[in-house]
Amino acid sequence: MRQPGRYSGLTMCGGISGRTGPHSLPLARIKKIMKNSGEDVKMISGEAPIVFSKACEMFIEELTRRSWMTTLEGKRRTVHKDDVASAVVATGIFDFLVSLVSGSCCSEDITLVEIETLKS
Amino acid sequence: MVDQEQDGMLPIANVGRIMKQILPPRAKISKEAKQTMQECATEFLSFVTGEASDKCHKENRKTVNGDDICWALSALGFDNYAQAAMRYLHKYREAERDKAAANNNQNTENIASHGGLQVKEQIQTSNLEFRALEKGDNSLITKP
Repeated sequence: MRQPGRYSGLTMCGGISGRTGPHSLPLARIKKIMKNSGEDVKMISGEAPIVFSKACEMFIEELTRRSWMTTLEGKRRTVHKDDVASAVVATGIFDFLVSLVSGSCCSEDITLVEIETLKS
Repeated sequence: MVDQEQDGMLPIANVGRIMKQILPPRAKISKEAKQTMQECATEFLSFVTGEASDKCHKENRKTVNGDDICWALSALGFDNYAQAAMRYLHKYREAERDKAAANNNQNTENIASHGGLQVKEQIQTSNLEFRALEKGDNSLITKP
């Protein structure tokens, strides 16, 4: 049986309306960020932010799950910024975020990873 | 309190809610962790958009569409996101088609002047059995 919330929401709310609607992230904001990402981004189809709302949600879920693993290792129950940073460093596909998280974290391990990345 | 910097990022409330939903009920999230996640998610958006935009540019296309995003996700190593996003995109397109067809049903006299695509949708809505098949498991149709 299909999940009622997501798919029936699509038919009932009609997708793009500027409100969050059935999507967990506001489409207008997603579109704004997309436009700000580069000079070349001139036109964005209506469905692109919708696809992104799903992808972003999955990204946040994955990074959160991985951060939580680090939190548990430290026998804590509050996810800290360093847990997120550790999760980023430990996951290959999140390499593009290493400089972003190391800016706010002074861990030696992260600096070493950055140097390694630069070398290769 | 509107922070201009915040305006260029995904809203922290939404980000926090997604994080909370995935964690156990008693887990807590520090404000800084939410902020870091907010920055990471925004960067993710820009990163993937850049890749999709590059592809469009190379192919002399001006509009970044849903398929471009799915392609970029896959190209950057986010295969599982790409697959789920494709399914989501197809569901969205299906819903939009149904919605458009439902609207067309009310304007039957305009169908002829709008061209082939509208006529096709008109046929789909008037044949309930066909519509039911469409909403079923599409994998049966695509398998050889």
